[in-house]
Amino acid sequence: MSEHIRYTRNRREFLGDAFCGFGALAYGALEAQAATNPLAPKLPHHAAKAKSVIFLFMAGGPSHMETFDPKPLLNQLHGQKRPAEFGDVKYQFVTSEAKLLGTKRSFKKYGKSGIEVSDLLPHTAECVDDLAVIRSCHGDMVVHSAAQYQLMTGRIIPGFPSMGSWTVYGLGTESNSLPAYCVLPDPHGALEAGQPMYLNGFLPAVYQPTTMRPGNKPVLNLSLPQGVQIEDRTKTIKYLKAMNQAAFAGEDNELEARIAAYDLAFKMQMEAPEVFDISKEDESTKEMYGIGKGPTDDYGRRCLLARRLVEKGVRFVCVTSGGGPGNLQWDAHDDIEENHLRMAKQTDQPVAALLKDLKRRGLLDQTLVLWGGEFGRSPESQGNKGRDHHNLGFSMWMAGGGIKGGTVVGATDAIGLKAIEKPYHFRDIHTTVLNQMGLNQHALSYMHLGRKERLTEIEGMVIKEIV
Amino acid sequence: MRTLLALTICLELVAANVAPLGKYTAVERRHWAFQPRSNPALPKFESQADKNFVRNPIDAFVLARLKKAELAPSVPASKEVLVRRVYFDLTGLPPTPQQVQAFVNDKKPDAWPRLIQQLLDSPHYGERWGQHWLDVVRFAETDGFEYDTHRTEAYRYRDYVIRAFQNDKPYDRFITEQLAGDEIAPQEQESVIAAGFNRLGPLRKNAGNQEVASSRNEVLTEMTNAVGAALLGVTLGCARCHDHKFDPIRQSDYYRMQAYFASTLENDFPLTDREARTTWEATVKPIDAQIKKMQSEMAKADPVKQEEIGKQIAQLESTKPPPPPTLYSVKTDLAKPSPIHLLARGEYTAKGDSVGMRPMGIMLPEGTPEDKDLQQPRARLAGWVTSKENPLTARVMVNRIWQYHFGQGIVVTPNDFGRMGGRPSHPELLDFLANEFVQSGYSVKHIHKLILSSSTWMQASDTKNVKASTDDPENKLLWKFSRRRLTAEELRDSMLMVSGNLNTKQGGPSVIVPIEKELVAALYNPTQWKVTPDPAEHKRRSIYLLVKRNLHLPMLEVFDAPDALVSCARRESSTHAPQALELLNGTFSNEQAEALAAKLAKSSGGKPEKMVDQAYQLVAGRLPSLKERQVAIEFARTATPHEFALAMLNLSAFIYVN
Repeated sequence: MSEHIRYTRNRREFLGDAFCGFGALAYGALEAQAATNPLAPKLPHHAAKAKSVIFLFMAGGPSHMETFDPKPLLNQLHGQKRPAEFGDVKYQFVTSEAKLLGTKRSFKKYGKSGIEVSDLLPHTAECVDDLAVIRSCHGDMVVHSAAQYQLMTGRIIPGFPSMGSWTVYGLGTESNSLPAYCVLPDPHGALEAGQPMYLNGFLPAVYQPTTMRPGNKPVLNLSLPQGVQIEDRTKTIKYLKAMNQAAFAGEDNELEARIAAYDLAFKMQMEAPEVFDISKEDESTKEMYGIGKGPTDDYGRRCLLARRLVEKGVRFVCVTSGGGPGNLQWDAHDDIEENHLRMAKQTDQPVAALLKDLKRRGLLDQTLVLWGGEFGRSPESQGNKGRDHHNLGFSMWMAGGGIKGGTVVGATDAIGLKAIEKPYHFRDIHTTVLNQMGLNQHALSYMHLGRKERLTEIEGMVIKEIV
Repeated sequence: MRTLLALTICLELVAANVAPLGKYTAVERRHWAFQPRSNPALPKFESQADKNFVRNPIDAFVLARLKKAELAPSVPASKEVLVRRVYFDLTGLPPTPQQVQAFVNDKKPDAWPRLIQQLLDSPHYGERWGQHWLDVVRFAETDGFEYDTHRTEAYRYRDYVIRAFQNDKPYDRFITEQLAGDEIAPQEQESVIAAGFNRLGPLRKNAGNQEVASSRNEVLTEMTNAVGAALLGVTLGCARCHDHKFDPIRQSDYYRMQAYFASTLENDFPLTDREARTTWEATVKPIDAQIKKMQSEMAKADPVKQEEIGKQIAQLESTKPPPPPTLYSVKTDLAKPSPIHLLARGEYTAKGDSVGMRPMGIMLPEGTPEDKDLQQPRARLAGWVTSKENPLTARVMVNRIWQYHFGQGIVVTPNDFGRMGGRPSHPELLDFLANEFVQSGYSVKHIHKLILSSSTWMQASDTKNVKASTDDPENKLLWKFSRRRLTAEELRDSMLMVSGNLNTKQGGPSVIVPIEKELVAALYNPTQWKVTPDPAEHKRRSIYLLVKRNLHLPMLEVFDAPDALVSCARRESSTHAPQALELLNGTFSNEQAEALAAKLAKSSGGKPEKMVDQAYQLVAGRLPSLKERQVAIEFARTATPHEFALAMLNLSAFIYVN
């Protein structure tokens, strides 16, 4: 394992070496923009496969045994204690006396790749040839808040920047009328780790996420205050600029940047609402996402919005499924069947629609889609129908953005307890996401309290089987 | 040869087993920050111009360094600029137009020192400088993590800090009380509150699987790291998992420092008698039980029903009486020390050798033994930190003070005086100030006066100097004063002030202001956001607003207020579009604009010329320039009063200090 502090050349040196004349020229142009706009697009460290990321965050922890990781032996051992040869684990609630719980789901092979997916996710299954399923994910924490921090920021405590903030810090954004990093939370309520898991941590406030809420005003402060007319406001902006220029014209980068920020803010205010307005999408598209139909309406709208955002160059979008009390997340302590059938009903069709929609628009190649939760669930039952948290082996998948579709990597043991074959930690997921975006985990650093901090803290691996 | 090698390896193994007291190489010991403070000679100057610039020793050191770089200082700023600068610097609030006039017209030779003294005596001084300390110690009033439980009495520590700065409490005393107030003066409320310092870090609590040893380890880590970052200005925390990669701090140093906290336990020191607590518990218990029941119902209910139950829960929550007051502090219980071991990778299960108490070895003679049988371990640690010979403590604090006056420190990394941190731009000046600090009895106000009466601080910020801008674009050598953006709190407080809305009430329980319901809904437990009923309270200075780790006020957050999760040594000052959206469309700024509009209408009688002049005097502390006036009058003639006032609150001339 390498040192977690390493000297890297700065980007200017790197680009100078890598691209000589042309790179330097392109960099010069970008740098000119960056002088007034910290979110101006920046060149990646290496050739990027993806321009945007959509993280479909299944909060609360979906079960791998009910989704992407068939375990016939688990059904055979149903009702028995875990055989000793599988080893020991630490759960949140279930004890060593707990009995294994077989699944009621059935698995089938789909697509050309023949990857097995459960009947919980029939729509996603149709897209399986685009997915790379990682069946050997693992994290360090078995409780929600700490596990959510690790999934989002690489650390088990709050205060560190999220994947989205790091990505925008590294690459800026290609949209100058939309927020660079958007979080679309579940309207049912907050998660255990709260807002800090999505935030910019110690990175400057410019890299913070914009949270978009349901309803007509998804973004705070993007619409005019009541009683103010657009004509009035247009004039205010014009004169404000003139007064600010009269005071400080041309003598200070920061003050010019401030003037530019007002121009950008006004542009966002004028143009962003149109992107947020999904009513202009054609009916068949809305139908594909399940918009207007009970369970799928909400997540469908948010997935469609995610597509509209990345289409306009937004860098990172997180679409969260699950919020509020545990049972309104994928946190199926009481009844795995009831919970997962309900959560899957809400998300499966929209997720598949998003993949298909991105693909038909030629956007899937440049959009990395990541699906998963902060952990999986226990092979043992909690009560007699539920499953506890479980962090030592579970599934996530990636699609698009240069990911090899129709692949499966890694495996858990025969009952889904531990990742035993090619285990991949959250830091490897992070490394892979950065890699597809053209970012190097070591070069993407920020000096904080005497240490070069990075998303992967020490070092992760690119999951080479799927890129 | 082979035998010798084997013997050496063997010896090293033995040594490793007993966690060596640590040997430090000559190179390690030579690092500038660990050297004793020097008594630098004052540079001398010949020319009259140079002598005129040198008002006090600060100027001599700064000028000497500028000359070495063949640069010259800037002309002094105008009195108008200085008065606005010093008001913000010492109180975080703008001067009123009358206050500006009073100083500009004061022709007496002692006008400047009198103004400085007046501001140091103002109650707003403690509010401004207390905030800096709260940044450094990551002050917040909730636990963070999943439950983000409110620490209802934590405001007492905030008030303690404000009082300490206000009264110029000697810094060594200030630190000692925070590290060990409960040990040295357990009967004094002030000291016990101060010791709450040791509990300021975030605290992980979650449902199920309470790993007591793990949580205790996290608590001890928070306490230890705070001493390193906040008091000593070293990245002690880096040595939690392994020997420091760059600085001479061994992992054993880290855990030996931690050992001073081994007997430190949480202590909610009751301020009421037992009866009051029993009554409170009896009242709350059935309500909590009822809420718990409803929460489980809620989980199973449909969305409509859920919302209904949610409302009922909120209603029930609001019927709970506030808990009886306690001092949020710590105590030492020598009977139950946590065993302290070296922990591989910092993991509490990976226990290595056990160690005892000892300060950082690099600042001790070789082979200094561990402290044994201390009755007051933290008081002993405080004694070492505040000893006059400690090379770090005074330097670190004067560097912080310098940074808050100039925008950047003499060492640009105030929490890191190690090899990866910045080298001092003016090492002699740093030592001079540190010596002054110690000799003045650790008086923070003494350092303020030195700095504020220097020509260096009084330089203009709008100097055009091509050579200096090219050679030293970041102004490290101080050839001018660096213009700065207002901090988040200054901006909010100033908007309240110029609109005439500011409530200057001091101290007491923190205020919860109303915010968009979507933000409250994003809390895991939305009932925690109990808005303070009296609307007048919502207009108090930002330092009195509740600091909740899981919900930052957007208005403050967008202007780089720290997240209160780790020590904030220096605020970022970013510039981006969401700031503009907040100031143009946000509820808070539009409320202040409304009030400012009414105020201007009344005072100007609606005459655009008068309104423009008065507005500039209020927000910028000066009259507009010809060009500004021309544009502003044109705008005032056609704009709604609200939009005009809002634009004034968005002027760079308001948001920046020259």
